[in-house]
Amino acid sequence: MSSSLDGFPEGQVQFDLERGGASVRVDAGLYPLEAIYGAAYVFIDRCFVLLDRADGGAYRVWLSPKKATDEQSVRAMLGELGNELLSCAWRAQIAKESRSIIEAVTARALGGARGAPGLDDLEAFDFSDEAFDDPLGIAMSWEEKYGKKKAEEPKAEAAEPDAEPKP
Amino acid sequence: MTELRFHRDLYDGETVDEAIKTFERFATIERAEDDEHWIVRLSADAPPRERRVAGELGNYALGLTIRRSTGAR
Amino acid sequence: MNLLQIRKASTSFAMPFRHRQVAGKHLLTNTEGAFVLLDDAEFTAFAEGTVARDSALYTRLRERNFVRAEVDQRAIEERIRTRKRFMDLGPNLHIVVVTLRCNETCVYCHASRADMSATHTDMSKETAEKTVDLILRSTNPSVTIEFQGGEPLANFEVVQHIVDYALKKNEKVGKTLEFTMVSNLSLMTEEKLKWLVEHKVQMCTSVDGPEHLHDKQRKLPSGAAALPLAGHAHAVAKHWIGRINEEYARLGLDPTLYHVEALLTTTSETLPLWKDVVDTYVGLGCKALFLRPVDPFGFAERSGGRVEYPRKDYLEFYRDAVDYMLELNKQGVQILERFAAIFLTKILGGEDPNFLDIRSPCGAAIGQVAYNYDGKIFTCDEGRMLHEMGDDTFLIGELGKTTYRDLMGHETVRAMAIASNLDAQPDCVNCTYQPYCGVCPVHNHKTQGSIFGRMRESTLCAVHKGIQDYLFEKIASGDPHVIQTFQRWTTVRDRTHFLQTCAL
Repeated sequence: MSSSLDGFPEGQVQFDLERGGASVRVDAGLYPLEAIYGAAYVFIDRCFVLLDRADGGAYRVWLSPKKATDEQSVRAMLGELGNELLSCAWRAQIAKESRSIIEAVTARALGGARGAPGLDDLEAFDFSDEAFDDPLGIAMSWEEKYGKKKAEEPKAEAAEPDAEPKP
Repeated sequence: MTELRFHRDLYDGETVDEAIKTFERFATIERAEDDEHWIVRLSADAPPRERRVAGELGNYALGLTIRRSTGAR
Repeated sequence: MNLLQIRKASTSFAMPFRHRQVAGKHLLTNTEGAFVLLDDAEFTAFAEGTVARDSALYTRLRERNFVRAEVDQRAIEERIRTRKRFMDLGPNLHIVVVTLRCNETCVYCHASRADMSATHTDMSKETAEKTVDLILRSTNPSVTIEFQGGEPLANFEVVQHIVDYALKKNEKVGKTLEFTMVSNLSLMTEEKLKWLVEHKVQMCTSVDGPEHLHDKQRKLPSGAAALPLAGHAHAVAKHWIGRINEEYARLGLDPTLYHVEALLTTTSETLPLWKDVVDTYVGLGCKALFLRPVDPFGFAERSGGRVEYPRKDYLEFYRDAVDYMLELNKQGVQILERFAAIFLTKILGGEDPNFLDIRSPCGAAIGQVAYNYDGKIFTCDEGRMLHEMGDDTFLIGELGKTTYRDLMGHETVRAMAIASNLDAQPDCVNCTYQPYCGVCPVHNHKTQGSIFGRMRESTLCAVHKGIQDYLFEKIASGDPHVIQTFQRWTTVRDRTHFLQTCAL
């Protein structure tokens, strides 16, 4: 097993062409886990990907190309992983900082395209669900809630969950 | 035999179980665990098949884990 | 020079801006999409906040909302609202693939064609009707149905059925309808032409440049066309372009507005032929030329080694071709470049022409929808092409099973709206060209494995940046003829003849 690869810092990369793979140590202080997930996912069509913990709280990303490859291709792939990690980490930060504007734009664009529900949508709506829970009696009419009750009338279970039990 | 070790910080145990279920018809698979990892031991008829099934199982578990982690946010 | 060389940068003078060096000047843009070009001394004064209030420079900066103390908040809001108006309307473009069959074989085919015997790839009339029903349920009051393929003339009966059915159904819906057809024209006949003209179906074709290049890249087997010109794809296209334009003229339509437009796909063999390409288009009576680079969809992937090229070479080709077009305009010839017109409408016109591939967020589903012959529905035509290559990432529904609102609320659509929002994209978020640009998540997915992509390595980003660099260099030159021509290229005249409205 080779422990280093030209162009990468010493100790960052483990390279094992015979077993068909390589791994990169990723500093957890620089890259959030969501960036590591995002970058690793980009490779699953070309590689078998495995994540692990490394020393010092770091992460390790293992890539093993699905098809046989040479050292140069593995180097290019690891370089691409590095670039994708940076891109995902930055994007995660942008998403946090600009969350409100991103959400507003997405909501406006999708809302504009979806429009209001039409009759077809209402037809497709399932009204057969059981009565929803209404502990405050909001769905009841004033008469139902406060009007004079007939002693013989059975109580609506959902409407008066906190009613006193009758003697 | 191939051994895959899924770190508990990084993989959801349920997704590893689901990946095992999905791939168990392609290989003989055993599940174990230690303090830090979910461990999957896998053997198949031929080494290339074993490598492929192990690799795809790992990818599947990763994909499900990512889907769950992003879905939860 | 750059901001680091500024000795005492002011933190209070300027509104947020992005900057880039272009043609020895400093190009500054802001959130609303206004720009200024400054020389070194002006940029230093701007960055240090020492611009005299009574100077012409101060007025320029103030008018374009670069001065914090003078900012017109309402004007900024209004300009942003104007630029993003497209977001409120929903999909306008509905691409209907009536067949995958095609009688031409192109080296780069985007559409992933099928042989002429593959009649199972023809859309049925039943699927066609379901397609129209769904289109007419969309939110946009204006709808364009674009027939594509394959070669749509190979399933002309269904094209006719869609037009007739849509016009009839629309009597109760009341949308403004427009029909267009992208065709190689080789299966055109006088009878079909008559019907298309009568039913106001606009026609657009593909021309790869001069005859020898077109015929080499677009193989039309002998006997595949309905003319003695069979076997010569360029001659066939030229013949029918002329005939269609004659028909428009016969109807008394203004030929500067009503004529067949053509699309170019730039391959490695096109690059040295920039002058021939422009001359060919002018000779065919086209007023616009879209210098599109080859894309990674369809067969283009397989033939990539032969037809691809470094984007640096493409940008040289682009510059040469547009320089020549500007020269022709100076001589009174009207020909515009489509990429330039799209960007200039945003840069100089302050409007977004709603070109779906260059807007933020992109038009995937919320601006266009693609319907395959078999009833499968995709976010866009590029997504459909990937499906033909075995990748269903951008499949969002199926006719008869998925409602319109379910399509628009699909998680893939939401993901693409986020991925193509330039405020969410590394690099784009800081790019000077952000107010004018757009990214394509399908291109990113295909070339880089993620819908977000990495713009520094994206060939599409290289093209967009390179073209905008060129345009701003030209603007910076201050040549009145160039500015006048650019202004004219931003003028969009609706082809009202093709708009079909039914009173409710």
